[in-house]
Amino acid sequence: MWLPFLGLIFGLALGLLTNIQIPSIYENYLSIAVLAALDTLFGGIRAQLQQVYDDKVFVSGFFFNIALAAGLAFLGVYLGIDLYLAAIFAFGVRLFQNIAIIRRILLTRIDEKRHKRNKNSIE
Amino acid sequence: MKKNMFTRITIVLFIIGLMIAVQYNTIKQPAERDTRDIWAIREELAEEKQRHSALLAEIRSLNEVVGRYEQSEKANLQSALNETLNRLKLQAGLTEITGPGVILRVEPAPELVEMGYEIKEISPDLLTQLLNALFKNNAASVSIDGNRVVQTTAIRDINGKTTVNSVPLSSPPFEIYVGTSSFKEAQKMYNSLQASTFIDSFYLDNFNLMIEEPTEHLTLPAFDQPLTNDYLTEVEKGE
Repeated sequence: MWLPFLGLIFGLALGLLTNIQIPSIYENYLSIAVLAALDTLFGGIRAQLQQVYDDKVFVSGFFFNIALAAGLAFLGVYLGIDLYLAAIFAFGVRLFQNIAIIRRILLTRIDEKRHKRNKNSIE
Repeated sequence: MKKNMFTRITIVLFIIGLMIAVQYNTIKQPAERDTRDIWAIREELAEEKQRHSALLAEIRSLNEVVGRYEQSEKANLQSALNETLNRLKLQAGLTEITGPGVILRVEPAPELVEMGYEIKEISPDLLTQLLNALFKNNAASVSIDGNRVVQTTAIRDINGKTTVNSVPLSSPPFEIYVGTSSFKEAQKMYNSLQASTFIDSFYLDNFNLMIEEPTEHLTLPAFDQPLTNDYLTEVEKGE
């Protein structure tokens, strides 16, 4: 259960300790990729809670979204259109939606638990 | 199946963590703010400009050499090579050189000698400092007591004797010849030496540093010892 968090912490530690930096021209791409990754992550958590989680969808979505976002930003630079805004908008909205759904599901679950406990105590 | 899923999520989270960390690193990159005011920046710009013009001058002189080579490619390559050789010898200090310059005379302070002070050897540190100051003031060539200062010259204490190029200095008085590129430079050198603290520094060591008026014709001896280079090797033909 805690293995994924270990992975996250390990990744953060590795990045911070090695002090890797990317050239500032690629900063945009990376920020969008981070956003896409976060979106996929929360989408995965939501799917897990809704019990529709699929491993393949999650992993492919992760890489595909990152590539798509970076690709859009790349295209935008060459077309002179700020296409990365589209990606930011899409991922931002979905991020909020996913988190809202996760919040609701968790709230219902807590409510249910409390209900059950109350029932138990009454019986 | 479940274990497999956790592994994949772990990998994905690892990548996310790494990306966030890299992004964080990149954003906080200019950790120190540039707090120079416009004057400091202008000064730095002026320095770079000077470097720029020096480089341009060098490029021009090298281009001239290239042009000369090309012109004389058929006619007489040898004379062009000889010319380059002579120029390099001049640069390395292997030739006698005559030109404008300043003479510095180091002699024991007479009043201290009369009072019975013991006049010791001049310290290598003081000489080195003086040399640094001379070259900072655009000295083209320097000879200390007849010993030409070249790139590999060492000024050091050997068994209590101060030596230049491993030749002990004759006890003071001796002369330091400073050659400059033009008479104007020589005047500048004279003035800046007069204004410097070297006269006082030498007096602390019981010496008088006499700075003579700049002259138009000053002859500096050539470096008379074999130049050793331990690190340069000849390139094989055709390489």
